[in-house]
Amino acid sequence: MEALNYFALSWLSPELLALTALGTFLGIYVGAIPGLSVTMAVSILISFTFSWDVNHALCLMVGIFMGGVYGGSRTAILLNIPGAPSAIATALDGYPLAKKGLAGEAIGLSTVMSVIGGFVGIFVLAIAAPTISEFAITFQPRDYLLLAILGLTLVGSLSSGSLAKGLFAGAMGVLVGTVGLDPLTAEERFTFGIIELWDGINVIAAMIGLFGVSEALHQLHHLDKAIIKQKISRIIPPWADVRRFLPLSIQSSFIGVIIGALPGTGGDIAALMAYDQAKRSTKKPEVPFGQGAKEGLIAPEAANNAAVGGAYIPMLTLGIPGDAVTAVFIGALFIHGLNPGPLLLIEQPHMFWFTVGNLTLANIFVLIFGLTGIRIFSKLVECPKGVLIPLILLLSVVGAYAINNSVVDVWWMLAFGVLGYFMRLYNYPIGPVILGVILSKLIDENWRRAILSERGDMGQFFANLFSSPLSSVLLAAIVFALFTQTPLWTRWLKPKLFSKV
Amino acid sequence: MKKIILSTLAGLALSSTAMADFPNKDIQGIIQWGAGGSTDTVMRSVSPHAEEILGTDIILTNRTGGVGAIATKYVNAKKADGYTLLMGAENPQMYKVLGLADIDYSDMIPVNVLARGIPMLVAQNDAPFNTMQEMIDYIKANPGSVKVGSTGQGGLASIVMAMIESEVKLDVTTIPYNGDGPALTALQGGAIDVMPAVLGAAVQHIKAGRMKAIALVDNQPSPVLPEVGIITEALPGLDKYLPYGPFFGVFVKQGTPDEAVAKLTDAFTKAAQAEDFQTLMNNRGYGIMNLSGQPAVDFLENYRSVSSWLVHDAGFSKRSPEEFGIPRP
Repeated sequence: MEALNYFALSWLSPELLALTALGTFLGIYVGAIPGLSVTMAVSILISFTFSWDVNHALCLMVGIFMGGVYGGSRTAILLNIPGAPSAIATALDGYPLAKKGLAGEAIGLSTVMSVIGGFVGIFVLAIAAPTISEFAITFQPRDYLLLAILGLTLVGSLSSGSLAKGLFAGAMGVLVGTVGLDPLTAEERFTFGIIELWDGINVIAAMIGLFGVSEALHQLHHLDKAIIKQKISRIIPPWADVRRFLPLSIQSSFIGVIIGALPGTGGDIAALMAYDQAKRSTKKPEVPFGQGAKEGLIAPEAANNAAVGGAYIPMLTLGIPGDAVTAVFIGALFIHGLNPGPLLLIEQPHMFWFTVGNLTLANIFVLIFGLTGIRIFSKLVECPKGVLIPLILLLSVVGAYAINNSVVDVWWMLAFGVLGYFMRLYNYPIGPVILGVILSKLIDENWRRAILSERGDMGQFFANLFSSPLSSVLLAAIVFALFTQTPLWTRWLKPKLFSKV
Repeated sequence: MKKIILSTLAGLALSSTAMADFPNKDIQGIIQWGAGGSTDTVMRSVSPHAEEILGTDIILTNRTGGVGAIATKYVNAKKADGYTLLMGAENPQMYKVLGLADIDYSDMIPVNVLARGIPMLVAQNDAPFNTMQEMIDYIKANPGSVKVGSTGQGGLASIVMAMIESEVKLDVTTIPYNGDGPALTALQGGAIDVMPAVLGAAVQHIKAGRMKAIALVDNQPSPVLPEVGIITEALPGLDKYLPYGPFFGVFVKQGTPDEAVAKLTDAFTKAAQAEDFQTLMNNRGYGIMNLSGQPAVDFLENYRSVSSWLVHDAGFSKRSPEEFGIPRP
């Protein structure tokens, strides 16, 4: 009963309700603009809400978080510029839908699925938080390594067409990710003595360039092509569609919660893994993946919103941030005189149910704000190219500068834009580059931590790989992912095993 | 127009000091570390109080990168007029010996050294030792078997280990992490056994019984964890390095007019006394220092000479502290 009281706290107070709504609304727009990140918005709010009551401040920030993660899909679908790395997978099938004149339907569907994902995340947070957080912290460096290698197998899914070109793009991403101070020894790598390169090449700058600028340059080819009229009659997806895709969205949401709960991995990897899983498990998509498959839109959107609930799991139970945003939340709680940590739920038991209730409320606002205003947004794609292309370029420059208040990132963004243009021209997939950059660090650090823990003893490393149940499962997943691509499986075993199905 | 009125008002409020024309515009605060980090949190919570006293806005910007060197160089390239503040942590004090940059805080004027973190050693609950002496004995008996987390060479953990190594040689396996947060998570998951971290980062986990405290790396016990012993009980030779710890401070460029430095110093000294700032620092386990003027310079010098020489003697400095005239502690 007491839990219910705290749960409903933000629902019943008009002020808290209004702040959550405002936060969610702002979050959608912050999330939609590439370069403006939720992390940044939340930390600016810390000093802004410094003198406020803690509940008021949290409502605004939770709204921004929930809205922001969802908002990243907007520009991904409409302009092929993901608002954040967690919306990269969304662009793969969302943008082709917009090109077919189905932007309204795509946004409607992604909104509903995001909200379902959000609810699954919150539900898991509410019922299983302690169990999952204990599980999440048992991940050893070698398990993160295996997870990252599993992530690399996604290159196959992200490259429609030539696998060789996909591998090339992925390897280039991994290489880009190694630039900067060595994460473990602070030795300089590929920096040429330039201080601006110490922190490496910013993945968001690369993303904005590869997707946004290259898209703008590419569209210059088609300046005179007739503008696609957007059908905006159907925005709220039909119930049959929602029901048909419900199993997929729930499955994707669970991927999202678990990856989100792991300290060190977040919505970006979750969304890509869910996309891959959807591509593998969907037997006969109406439209092939990469050309506007609804499954390819639903999976990443459900997963990245479910990762929000996931990220809260270790934060609320153990005081360990599940991602960059929850790390900022921990700072906010400190400033407001609370002690986020394993004792938080004992000292402040109301915090848990208040947060769960508030996340639920923010998720409902995502549904409301997400489904209204789609008509105006869809018109954006109908803009004359002469207006749209400069707008994309302007947005890209502002976004790249905003990451770090640094012009260096703008130059990188432009360079990656030109690179991305040529990659498109020669049919090289772009997704694997970003995947490579994201995973490069994870692999680099954890491989070395894993091997340092064994004092360089490879035999011991492999012995532990097989003796730990968690590592064995992850290893089996990698072997399976690779094996199912071999002729032995596709030509011989698969038909034999599934012929009667 | 609004600004003129504001600055006139500020001028009236400070009319006791002659020629009160600083500050007559917004002040820029450049934070060395990213949003949500400990430096960011400290600066964002002290600044609103300083704003009130100065009667002007302090616009905070995170300029991350190069272990804080990008922000440091940025502020150093600005005019020395007191309108650009460097809000940083301890890192620049190691730039010279690690070969990262040719400036450190001795090339700037400290406005206020706000607070200091107290380093301590924590261990995972299953570790077969409970005190510093037991830990040393165990490591000697089982060389190479204890995994110690680190935050990279020149980071706090490496300096604490170098301090211990200067008294007793220990064979441990060092595993680096990106900061003490991820390392303490790894400690709870059993990936490492021991971590030198700041008290503030570990205190909640210790109180909840998720890890155990081995010793404080300080010369006096802490009121936050009164039952935990201090490292000099087992290694009295470390006394010469203490008190030591990562700190947060506000700095301006060398050559800033005295009047501006005086006003900034006054504002931050009062801001650091604000009750909610004090509560925040206590909760996070940081010791308030609120040092300015010569005492601040002395603290910074001691920090620099202790870390530089420890790092040099441990063999991972790029250049000798002697080259920069840094005296031995």
